[in-house]
This record gives sequence, C-alpha cells and structure tokens, in this order.
Amino acid sequence: MINGITKILTSNSLNNITSNTNSQVMMETTLKAIGRPGFILIDNDIDDDTKKYAAAKEFLYQATCLLVYATIVVPVFKKGTFKLAQKLFKPEEIGDFKSSKQYAHYLKLCDTTLNNRQKTLEKEIKGVYKTDADGNKVRKLVKDEYSSLMVEELNKEHPNKFPILKGAVEFGNIVGSVFGLAIFAPQVSHLFIHPVLNALGFEKHKNSANTSESSQVLDKKV
Amino acid sequence: MNTTLLDKFRKICLKLGENNKPTYVVMSIAAVKGICRPAFTMMDKKEEPKTKKYTAIREGLTEIIAIPVYWLLGEGSAKLANKFLPEELKAKGAKNCMLIGVCAAALVVIPGLCSLAIKPLMDKFYHNKKGINLEKSDKNLSFIEPKTNPISQNTYSPVKRPSMQTFAGVGPYKSYGMKVGGV
Repeated sequence: MINGITKILTSNSLNNITSNTNSQVMMETTLKAIGRPGFILIDNDIDDDTKKYAAAKEFLYQATCLLVYATIVVPVFKKGTFKLAQKLFKPEEIGDFKSSKQYAHYLKLCDTTLNNRQKTLEKEIKGVYKTDADGNKVRKLVKDEYSSLMVEELNKEHPNKFPILKGAVEFGNIVGSVFGLAIFAPQVSHLFIHPVLNALGFEKHKNSANTSESSQVLDKKV
Repeated sequence: MNTTLLDKFRKICLKLGENNKPTYVVMSIAAVKGICRPAFTMMDKKEEPKTKKYTAIREGLTEIIAIPVYWLLGEGSAKLANKFLPEELKAKGAKNCMLIGVCAAALVVIPGLCSLAIKPLMDKFYHNKKGINLEKSDKNLSFIEPKTNPISQNTYSPVKRPSMQTFAGVGPYKSYGMKVGGV
C-alpha cells in the first residue's frame, strides 16, 4: 500500500506534469470546472433555478478559460519566449534547438537512463526520410533531428538540461497563463457565456425568476 | 536589452528552470485575477451599481481566500512528503506532492471555504451585524400572498372654487398670491 502510494507520488508521468506550467494550469482549471459548479449545486441556501444557472455559468466560464488558454495562449507565449531566449542568451547557455517542441523532447530524453536514451536515439522516425551518401532514400533516425552538439550531450551520463532555457520557457508560460486566465479569457467568456446560457434555456429561467420576484415585491408594496 | 535587466531576467530564468514550483503560477494567476476580475465587473455598464459592487467584492474575496490556501496546501504537502519519503525520492516526490496539494485546493478546499466564509463576510460588508439572513427572510416574505381585492383607491377630487381675482392686474397693486403682513 505505502509502496504503491510512493510509486504514484514519484512517478515520471506526474513529474512531467509538475515540471510543465501549461499542464499544471490546464489540470487546475479542469478541476476548478468540476469543483466550483459542484459546490454551488450542493449549496442548500440557494433555490434550484439559481443553483443551476450559477453552476452552468461557472462551468462555462472555466471551460472557456481552458479553451482560450489551450488554443491561443500556450502556442503564442511558448514559441514567443523560446525565440526571445534564443535572441537574448548565449548558445552555450541555451543549447542548439530548432524549436520548443524539440527542447521538450530533449528534456524527456534527459530523464531516462543513458542506455534507454541511446536506444531511442537510434530509432527510426516513421514516414520521415533522408538521402544517404549513396543517394538512397533511408528513414531518418531520432538522432538526425538533433545537432551533433546535442547528440554529444545526450550521450553523456548526466546531460546538460539548459535550465536557463527551461526557465525562460516557464517564465513565458507563467506570464501567458496570467494574461490568458486573468485578463483575456474573462473578456472572451463575457461575450460567449450569455448566448450559450440563453440557448440552453438558463437565461429564461433567470428572467422569469426575476420577473416573478419583482411582481411579488410590487404586491408587497401594495 | 539593458545588461542589468538581462542579468535579472537570467537569474529569474535560472531559478525557474531549476525549481519551478506549482504554487508560483497558481498564486500569480489568483493575485492578478483578484485585481482584474472585480475591475472588469465594475466597468460593466449593463449591470446595476449595487449588483456590480456585490459581485466585485465576492470575486475579490474568492481570490483573497485562494492565495494563502494554495500556498499553505502546496508547501504543506511538500513538507509532508519530505517527512515520509526516502531520501533519494524526496526531491521528485516533494514537487509532485505540491502539485497534488494545489489540485486539492482547486477542487475541494477553495470552493468549500468560499461557500462557508463568503456569506458571513458579505453580510459584514453590508452591515448586517445581527446575523439576519436576508435571503432567507426574503424567501419567507415571498410567501405572503397579495390580497385579491386590493384597497380601493380614494376617488376624491378637489372642489373647484371660483376665482376671487376679479380685477387682477388692474390698478397700482398687482396680485402675487396671498401675502402675510400686507405688502
């Protein structure tokens, strides 16, 4: 039992999520989209129609945030800060990578043992070909994607992970997350939520509840 | 870029690259949300001022509650992992536990705390110190049925009196209505 918990807590897949800001934010937003509407629905102080309306609104808000974040913020800020880091820092600090995707793959390889890493580097990539010295078409290997410097680094027992580049990418992700979730997504959701709630019939409930309440208030005054 | 600024940026990047805690991003999002969401709500021209104020305070309070909860649960679960995990797994396990703590905060603790704490806090903001639940009292009031035959309106109409200003505007004295004291 304890061994099982320890295995889960120290698993590589969980560690991959933990070391990536984007996956952390997506996971947190998904949980918010479940938790917040759930707590609204179990609140006994609110009437049923209001509960459903508030829960649907909160769920849609979090879902919009997640969608906006995944489709706009992540690609823009990830690529942007990677390019900025390439301009600002020296090559020995950030290595020689073509894209942020290649760097992410490099980091994954760094987390494996030297033996496994070397095996992966010798694997063929499906559907990608190159011409060899004799002019024949042969499949490209994983190591062909990397520059010779990086292949040399990957053949070391403890390869350089280039923390400055990783930090720059994470910095971009944090700035993007803050901008996306706190500033940009609320604006988009504001435009998107009310028509959807209206289409689902929640706005009608709210309006009818409001009109009945207002008529009751008028009656009381009379 | 300026060298000092670049050095500072390099330091931040190095720190984040070596140890990017899951609490950093969630706390920074909560902090900015705590400022921006109420501000956006207050800028909404379609809502009534009272509703706007209420919603803005509620949103601000939610994020104020969220920031310390994220920190406490994140750091607390990392410390707990450091206590129980073997030495070689501590670094990896502590960080993973921090993420689990943050997730637990987002899923259960923060929504739960908000639904418990926000209502009394909002009552305090709106000076309802006696602890009267306005929503409940309103609900009770809504059960009072309006009378089927409302009180009939008084149909009294004022009697038209004949005007006494027979020579109004004629002569040296003009009439300006009734004056006490003569002039």
